[in-house]
Amino acid sequence: MPQLPQKKVGIVACSGEEMAEGTVTRLAALKLLEELRPNDTVTICLPLFLAGGEGDRAFARFYPTIAIDGCELRCAARATEQFSGKPAAEIVVTDLVAEQGLTRPQGLRRLDAAGKQAVDITAQRAAVLVDELLEKRWSRRAGQFMEEEAPAPTGNGAGAGCACGGGIPVQKVVVNGREEVLIALPAILDQFRAANKPNTPDTVRELLEMVKIYNPIPAEEEEAYLAVLSQLVE
Amino acid sequence: MSAEDKTTRVKAVIVPCSGIGKTYGTVSREAAYEITEDLRPEETRLAPLSMLVMGDEATRAAVTNHPAVAIDGCKLACASKMVQESGGTVAVELAVLDVYRRHRQFKPQGIAELNDAGYQLAHALAEEVVALIDEMTIDE
Repeated sequence: MPQLPQKKVGIVACSGEEMAEGTVTRLAALKLLEELRPNDTVTICLPLFLAGGEGDRAFARFYPTIAIDGCELRCAARATEQFSGKPAAEIVVTDLVAEQGLTRPQGLRRLDAAGKQAVDITAQRAAVLVDELLEKRWSRRAGQFMEEEAPAPTGNGAGAGCACGGGIPVQKVVVNGREEVLIALPAILDQFRAANKPNTPDTVRELLEMVKIYNPIPAEEEEAYLAVLSQLVE
Repeated sequence: MSAEDKTTRVKAVIVPCSGIGKTYGTVSREAAYEITEDLRPEETRLAPLSMLVMGDEATRAAVTNHPAVAIDGCKLACASKMVQESGGTVAVELAVLDVYRRHRQFKPQGIAELNDAGYQLAHALAEEVVALIDEMTIDE
């Protein structure tokens, strides 16, 4: 298997600067990333789904993701689904605060006591969700949970924390005149180069099988993909 | 930002980085709050990046109807890019790192809570922005 980031849970916070609940999402995400589940979580800044590259947009397909939103607009959940992949779970701070019967948080820059309490319960709720998600098997090919398949591959982890600028290794190829983004292809090619694999039909077929672990490849297009991949093997 | 802003004295919309994982993101946000809440509350408005990402009409209108001040926390420049993506004009583009290079005595640390130097750097950044905003005129 190529050396890809190990299974972690992605955290996307709305970070909305115009409301205290947005500050709650940001601080709760930080608490989760730094204190509660530092080895099991990774985050990405929401704007990178648009401002970043294909690797950033692959985030929620690669990691089961928890969207943490400040309000009912659900910018984090909607943006994640629209630009990356459907979040595996969602938390909305206003709902959580109401559910727990807490006072509404105040203070954009400095949260009041209610805000700090909201940070704690949001982070704790997220930690429970992280544990639940890590117990399930995630398909990076389909961007959703699977029932009966082998465990997700593990490798040298990218480290918990901010994934901005790192992204998921992806490469664009043109298949049958269409541009396709293939998750993990750069890492797989690196592995083939390191092993000095010759450009033979068997090698290209092996490459395709590796690519299929992370990407949905229609059976009727396998020949076209083989032709494309054969040009990438040195 | 509400539609009534067009009739007020708003000169610029402040768009900070919404970064979570780095101290420069926190500095950019703190500077944006200082500008919009303390230094020039009547003449500036804050535009959250998450609302721009989702194409919120009022927020997009804010950045298209007013000059935008983008404060970026890292080289990925999400704030600047999102203003442009939303059809707005980046009148002022500032990177926290560049401001730090001008104020090396203020080394920021901390993400959830900045150290004193971080707040001082945010203040220096805010003062730079305010000086530029004061030079702007309002289109009637």
